[in-house]
Amino acid sequence: MNTSFPTRGLIRPCTLVYALLIGLTCVTWMIGRSGVGGPGVSLLVLGFALLKGHLIGDWFMGLRDVRGIWRWVVAIWLLVPGGLIALAFLLSFRG
Amino acid sequence: MQYKSQAVAKPYFIAAIGLFVGQILFGLIIGMQYVVGDFLFPEIPFNVARMVHTNLLIVWLLFGFMGAAYYLVPEESERELVSPGLAILMFWVFLIAGALTVLGYLLVPYSGLAEMTGNSVLPTMGREFLEQPTITKAGIVVVALAFLYNVGLTILKGRKTVVSLVLLIGLAGLAVLFLFSFYNPDNLAKDKFYWWWVVHLWVEGVWELILGSILAFVLIKTTGVDREVIEKWLYVIIAMTLITGIIGTGHHYYWIGTPDYWQWWGSIFSALEPIPFFMMTVFAFNMVNRRRRNHPNKAAVLWALGTAVMAFLGAGVWGFLHTLAPVNYYTHGSQITAAHGHMAFYGAYVMIVLTMISYAMPMLRGRSAANSEASQVLEMWSFWLMTVSMVFITLFLTGAGILQTYLQRYSSDPLPFMVVQEKISLFYWMREVAGLMFLIGLVVYVASFFVGSRQPEATAVVEGSAA
Amino acid sequence: MTAEAAIQQQRRGLAVPRFPPGDLAIWIFILAELLVFALFFAAYAFTRMQHIALFDRYQAMLNRDAALINTLALLTASYFVMRGVVAAREGQGRLCARWTWAAVGMGALFLVVKSSEYAHHLHAGINLSTNTFYMFYLSLTFFHFLHVILGMVILVAVALKAGRGGYTPEEHTGVETGASYWHMVDLVWLVLFPLVYVMK
Repeated sequence: MNTSFPTRGLIRPCTLVYALLIGLTCVTWMIGRSGVGGPGVSLLVLGFALLKGHLIGDWFMGLRDVRGIWRWVVAIWLLVPGGLIALAFLLSFRG
Repeated sequence: MQYKSQAVAKPYFIAAIGLFVGQILFGLIIGMQYVVGDFLFPEIPFNVARMVHTNLLIVWLLFGFMGAAYYLVPEESERELVSPGLAILMFWVFLIAGALTVLGYLLVPYSGLAEMTGNSVLPTMGREFLEQPTITKAGIVVVALAFLYNVGLTILKGRKTVVSLVLLIGLAGLAVLFLFSFYNPDNLAKDKFYWWWVVHLWVEGVWELILGSILAFVLIKTTGVDREVIEKWLYVIIAMTLITGIIGTGHHYYWIGTPDYWQWWGSIFSALEPIPFFMMTVFAFNMVNRRRRNHPNKAAVLWALGTAVMAFLGAGVWGFLHTLAPVNYYTHGSQITAAHGHMAFYGAYVMIVLTMISYAMPMLRGRSAANSEASQVLEMWSFWLMTVSMVFITLFLTGAGILQTYLQRYSSDPLPFMVVQEKISLFYWMREVAGLMFLIGLVVYVASFFVGSRQPEATAVVEGSAA
Repeated sequence: MTAEAAIQQQRRGLAVPRFPPGDLAIWIFILAELLVFALFFAAYAFTRMQHIALFDRYQAMLNRDAALINTLALLTASYFVMRGVVAAREGQGRLCARWTWAAVGMGALFLVVKSSEYAHHLHAGINLSTNTFYMFYLSLTFFHFLHVILGMVILVAVALKAGRGGYTPEEHTGVETGASYWHMVDLVWLVLFPLVYVMK
């Protein structure tokens, strides 16, 4: 576990992850504000969300230090509804 | 038996089994009336017999829960019951009130019964499962309050365990939710809306807490697994039960005049109601596999495992079958409902009461831990006879329900109700035969209390690897 | 893991656990909760297919700035919670309590902002029966709202115990259990935010 949280150095890796999460959130918000839509934009936003979820699972929940099925439990969860949402949005653009 | 006052459980268990027999006999009568319409006409009309069948079920399960609580609570609290005398008094009040009510159903026309018992003062009668005269309902409240006082005070004065607290929450919820049976608004949609607060929130809410705590108690006693492990499971199971069960009430609100969103809420939350039951199955098998000792009462362990499996199948799987709004649109109130009702009640609540009786009765009758080998063998036979019969009853009713739904509601050329009933009568006949098998199982069950009483107690077989 | 791999791992001095941090029971619970939300999300997405114009129109009326503040609040709370876990691991109970209280504060901010949104809707006469979009929006966010409250209750319990010095570097499962639950609350919102407020 110590590898994730070095006490030396200026910034902890997890703090960088936090900064990245904040950044992605702000980009998502700006996209929403700009009012753009469409398949590409929506899937990009969804992709950001899944990436953010994965970062939460790995770094905050500490799953990157776990082996076996539990290592992937959040990732799998993200992919299932994420995939369904993507499918629904893609279909709605076609129809 | 560690505490003298646990003995008050015994009359409760005996009454429960007696009423169980009555329930099954009336079940066979209405099963027969499904196919031979004028069977026992005019003495016992179908609607009366059905009322007796369902009311007896509820009453004997309540007897069973009360008996279970009176046995379990002193042992968990490590002290005697506050008032064993009150428990015995309430037993007789409940039994006599129950018997009078059933006699009222059978001997007086229902409207006459309503008149006799002053229903017009506070009208609560005439609603499915809540047919009891208002004064009987008031009596139930009195009995429940006295019971809660007795059990609650014992728990509060003694050692507090997760098992006893979950049981207490379940029993208190049972009493509080029953108060909605007195609320009878004129608006039919509202009436049904709150009616489910009794019916659904009992069987898919607080009763599950009672089930969970009794199961946990029996598993702690028979497997010797650490209390902490079992309690942790119990926490998670009841949390899931409440999350899914409370909003899951919505699956009864689809077509009764409530707002549209209930179709979504009901579908999503109730679709997850099988989860706590599944967890219960995993939990029970896990604990038995991790057992630290082999308990000599093998029959009780069999009942406990059976409860976990059958509750999952009956309540979980058969509930899920027709819980989604688009499916329920077609299956609502068909024989699928009856199939689910039978296996869920048997698997979850009948079996948990029989589990507790199986575990406690030997001690209540003076054994140190278990009945004789002969008695247990017979009891296990009855387990298989009743359980397999119930599986068949459920399967036949499911077949009937699928056909009924298709012929009457789904096909492009729907047939009238009575024509469809004729077409599926073969299923009803087979259900009646399975019901007879169930009765045989029940007779064997009762017999197991009288066989091998003089023989020595069964002892635990020592297994090399498992222990 | 094969025996050989296990030996190698021991040689490297890394004990890789098989189970996630915290009590396994909370993880079973988390999985069940995640399943509920997954169903809700999928239901939203597929229902939207039938009412695209309606969903887009009313989505545009939501307060996206409030949602941004709330997302930042939850992310920050998660970060604080994680720092609390690190503090507990290092045996700094007081520090753990401070981080956890800070997270509770962020949770409270979320509740305030979300409540003001609800107040706005209530004032506009919007309820579950207004239309399908609002039905989903209100159901989803309110169900999540309840989880934030539950998560905060758990965090308060953890903070109180940590402040009393109730955790040690050897035994601090409680902190990890509470943290895992909180991260789940955050995780769900991270999908909910783009789905309900942004994607169209």
